[in-house]
Amino acid sequence: MKNTLRVLRAERGWSQAALADALGVSRQSINAIETGKYDPSLPLAFAIARLFERPIEVIFSDEADV
Amino acid sequence: MTQPTFKSANRRYFRAFVPIMALYLLILMAGKFYLNSLTAEPQALQVAIALLAALPMAAFIGIELRFIAETDEYTRAIRYKAIAFAAGILVTAIFTIGFLQLFDAMGAIDVFWFGPAFFGLYGLSSVYLGGKAGL
Repeated sequence: MKNTLRVLRAERGWSQAALADALGVSRQSINAIETGKYDPSLPLAFAIARLFERPIEVIFSDEADV
Repeated sequence: MTQPTFKSANRRYFRAFVPIMALYLLILMAGKFYLNSLTAEPQALQVAIALLAALPMAAFIGIELRFIAETDEYTRAIRYKAIAFAAGILVTAIFTIGFLQLFDAMGAIDVFWFGPAFFGLYGLSSVYLGGKAGL
C-alpha cells in the first residue's frame, strides 16, 4: 500500500519518534510504514487517521488503485 | 486496562530482564564456586543447582514472550518471524549434527550450547528482519 504519512508528518513538523510516541508504537514501525516495508493493521491505520484528522483512504491507498 | 505502548512494554521488559540476568549469573557463579569448594560433589546438590540455574532462563523466556505480546504490531511481527527463523536454523543444525554423530563422523557436543545458539540466531534474525529486509 502507498501512504502519505511522511508528508502529513512533515506538514506538522513532527519527527518519526514524536509520531511514534503519539501512537504508542516504535519509531521503527513509523519508518517501516513510511517506506512501504510494512502495512499497518486496521486499528493502527484508524489511529493514524484519527491523529491526522483525515479519512483513512486519504492517507492509505491500495497500489492497485494507482 | 489501557493498551500497553511500545515504550511501556520496553520499560516492563528491562525492569524484569536485569534482575533475572543478575540472578542467573549469581546462581551460576555461586553454585559453581560452592561445588568446587566441596571435597566430594553430591549429585543431588549438583542437580539442584543446575535446576536452580535453569529457572531464570525459563523466566527470561516468559518475559520475552510477554514483551512480544505487549509491544507494537511491527515489533511483534519481526520477533515472531525471528523466532521461526532461529528455530528453523537451529533444528536444521541439530539434525545435521545428529546425523554426523549417527554415522560416527562427529563426536559428542554439549547440549547446553544450543540455548545460546538459539538466542544468538534470534538476535541476528531480529536485526536482519528489522533492517533493510523489512518483513
